[in-house]
Amino acid sequence: MDHSNEQVGSPQPASTAAKPMNMAATLAICSTGWLVPGLAHILIGRWIRGLIFAACVLLMFGLGLSMHGKLYDLEFDEPLHMFAFIANIGTGLPYWVASHIGWGIGTMSWPSYDYGTTYLWVCGLLNYLIVLDAFDIAQRRKP
Amino acid sequence: MILSHFSALVVFALIVSTVFALITKNEPAEQFRYGVFVFISFLAVAFAVGWLMYPLPL
Repeated sequence: MDHSNEQVGSPQPASTAAKPMNMAATLAICSTGWLVPGLAHILIGRWIRGLIFAACVLLMFGLGLSMHGKLYDLEFDEPLHMFAFIANIGTGLPYWVASHIGWGIGTMSWPSYDYGTTYLWVCGLLNYLIVLDAFDIAQRRKP
Repeated sequence: MILSHFSALVVFALIVSTVFALITKNEPAEQFRYGVFVFISFLAVAFAVGWLMYPLPL
């Protein structure tokens, strides 16, 4: 019986298959991806995906700010604001830069204030998902 | 910047569906199909909930 055709399309042997990145490097890359949206994918070598992610998160952040959305600080006297803060800091450096400049104060009387605030929350939460995606790719859990 | 309800919804759905499609699917064709599905789902659910809320005295 000829088994030569069984070799065609068979998975690579374990010795030559791509190995997962070590955990320290993975965490370092994920940290940069958290600070600068999309950078983790770019460092892994997924340029296009990283640039699209960066564009999506930064566009959403910019739109949220331009719609007079609010960026939340860490306030212990308002416990429920903690969730908004956690969502906001997901954006990474843009959050700290915008807060430092004084953007994101939030104008409640502005018609699109609620939309802007929601945009600012969601772009941070999306960046968390993007970082997790980069983690999975670095650990070879997904192609 | 002031966006209307609908335009804010469309931009939101477009960005989120793009990220979801890229994260959850691996092949470009799959990503496109899933992205379109999520985008249309966002709009459809928003319209449905909007019409459900329409008779309510809010």
